[in-house]
Amino acid sequence: MALAPHKQRPDRERSPDAEPAPRVRRARTTPPWWFALPALLLFTFVVLVPSARGLYYAFTDWDGLDPHFSFVGLDNFSDMLRDPDAMQAIGHTLLIAVSITVVQNGLGLLLALGVNTAIKSRNLLRVFLFAPAVITPIVTAYLWRNLLGPDGAVNSLWDAVGLGGLRQDWLGSPRLALWAVVAVIVWQFAGYSMVIFLAGLQSVPKEVHEAAAIDGAGPVRRFWSVTRPLLAPAFTINLMLSIIGGLKLFDQVYALTGGGPGHATDTISTLIYKDAFTLGEFGYSIALAVVLTIIVAVASTGQYLVLSRNERAAS
Amino acid sequence: MKTRTPVTLAAAVTAAAVLAACSGGTKASSGGDSKTLTLASVDQGSVEDVVKAFEKANPGVKVRFTTSGADQYQQQIRTQLSSGTAPDVMSVWPGNGNPGATYVLAKPGYLRDLSDQPWAAKLPDAVKSVAQYEGKTYNAVFGLNGIGAVYNEQAMAKAGLTPPDTWTKLLDFCRAAKAKGTPAFALGNQDNWVTQLVLYALVATTVYGDDRDFDKKMQGGQVTFAKSPWTTALDKYLTMEKTGCFQKNPLGTNYEASQGLAATGKTLGIVQGNWVIALLKGKNPKGTFSFKALPATDDPSGTLIPAAAGAGYGVNAKAKNEDLALKFVNFVMSPKGMNLFVKKQGGLPSLPDTGYAVDPSLEELSTFIQEDRTVPFMDQLWPNAKVQQTMLSGLQEIFSGQSTPKRLLGEMDADYQAGP
Repeated sequence: MALAPHKQRPDRERSPDAEPAPRVRRARTTPPWWFALPALLLFTFVVLVPSARGLYYAFTDWDGLDPHFSFVGLDNFSDMLRDPDAMQAIGHTLLIAVSITVVQNGLGLLLALGVNTAIKSRNLLRVFLFAPAVITPIVTAYLWRNLLGPDGAVNSLWDAVGLGGLRQDWLGSPRLALWAVVAVIVWQFAGYSMVIFLAGLQSVPKEVHEAAAIDGAGPVRRFWSVTRPLLAPAFTINLMLSIIGGLKLFDQVYALTGGGPGHATDTISTLIYKDAFTLGEFGYSIALAVVLTIIVAVASTGQYLVLSRNERAAS
Repeated sequence: MKTRTPVTLAAAVTAAAVLAACSGGTKASSGGDSKTLTLASVDQGSVEDVVKAFEKANPGVKVRFTTSGADQYQQQIRTQLSSGTAPDVMSVWPGNGNPGATYVLAKPGYLRDLSDQPWAAKLPDAVKSVAQYEGKTYNAVFGLNGIGAVYNEQAMAKAGLTPPDTWTKLLDFCRAAKAKGTPAFALGNQDNWVTQLVLYALVATTVYGDDRDFDKKMQGGQVTFAKSPWTTALDKYLTMEKTGCFQKNPLGTNYEASQGLAATGKTLGIVQGNWVIALLKGKNPKGTFSFKALPATDDPSGTLIPAAAGAGYGVNAKAKNEDLALKFVNFVMSPKGMNLFVKKQGGLPSLPDTGYAVDPSLEELSTFIQEDRTVPFMDQLWPNAKVQQTMLSGLQEIFSGQSTPKRLLGEMDADYQAGP
């Protein structure tokens, strides 16, 4: 993922209006490779070496304590396939990531379109809608844990409007708990997506809209043919952020439900934590972490490739 | 050529700095002069006073200590032990079944044998079984806790009910309480560790009442969870739920919320450990609360209480300052240190002759301990941490209709038989 921006730059620089740039660059001498050495060393010792050493433990039965452990090959990975909790957690993780990505960005886009209009309170609304994203996730999770309790504010609200029949045990029911978690995260981060879309919307030149309007395009057509293509970069960044965030989700789930009831809301991350620190199965939990890394890498790279192609097609 | 030297130098300095940073952590607990003791503890809020008293009793001695919550502590101590940087004295849980437990840490040789200390032989049998590993004492267990019904006396008086002492009376009590609109017990099953408490209270009597050697038989493979009175106990737990002994939606109610219900009289009580009394008083300073055994059969004389050693202290086998470490542990086990500790924690001392003035709310627990009518918490003698975790999430699954008692006990047997 870190490589992605480099990949794109040559395309842009080769475009006609950037013509003079390459000539200037060619005139400069290339800096010697060892200029990068300090940074590379730091990266090697702080990121690469620990990660590689961590990776090794995925193939052992280390319990996090005993200095004697053995190499078990792919056992941890084959155990995972037989572990219903792990399979369920992978399923939940994907479900959460996809639903957050779709709902959060859908809502974020609608909010952005809403506050990008000329309504009077738009600045105030922007602040209010963005506010939840500023709060630490663990705090919002504890807040919602109480709001969603059997006698919490959400159920009281139903009572107050005479819809007491809709009372639910939001976090205690395996049928609802996962969706309650998704709802809390969307509540918190829809404003965040909104801000990115809003920035994209404000970079759409007014003239283009006016021209389209003069050509007889209605609001829907103008959104689809003018705004949407110009928003492509905002889509890319928003979708990437929410899919990666959704796949790695830990703190909100842990604070809201602890993965329960039973395992009904366990994600890969909560399972990694439990297996390592409660059960002392470090080897197995690192293997789970490796799987999560692969899932995140595949999902985000795939998504990036598709979206950047769309971006180029749109521009 | 000229520019290369400074850059190479810079690179070398950076590398050296990075390497130094990598190894910096290992020196944290060195420098063990004879007057400094290092200590890591989970007894937040009580160990501070004990350390102060210890320093006062030993002029010139300085205790450098850290306290942390259980989860964090378990990670920290395991990392420190495996890298040789652990403190001289550390909190150790009794028995087995959690990552910081006596068996787990004594087996690889991280703890010093404390069998030669004066208090080791005096520990009651129920405590010995979890303070020892292979016949040697490793854990200075100073306090005991019990699980039972804690009643809100004002709420009980208002409802005109008294604590039941048989199973039949318990169910009648639940029905009567429900009819008055205040359910008998608060249950905070959203926090999964809470799910086990009612079950343990019932298992103590139904499983161990007729068979005090049940754990030995489990270890010998002669019995299983699924083919033992554990099925009866689990069935009684669910009978209590069906009879309306608990408030609505226990799975959506967390530990904190359940305390609120019992403290303010929205329920008549709560099935918890005695430690909850201090928390209930915090929520309702005017309330009075009392601890009673939770009956599981119709013979009150056969009722047992799960009462167990709380976390104690172990000495690092490679302690930098062994003499001082032993001195500290012996201070904790002396009447003065022990009484100070348990008073602050709201528990009971593990040794019988400390002259401790028991809080009236804990009288029944104290009596049961003196009469040897207690059994250790069940998980403390299980071979690994998995059995308990399976039980905790399984109980949540049963309460939410995702699993059945038969399936849960079968899974627990499978995890038990997987061994250490």
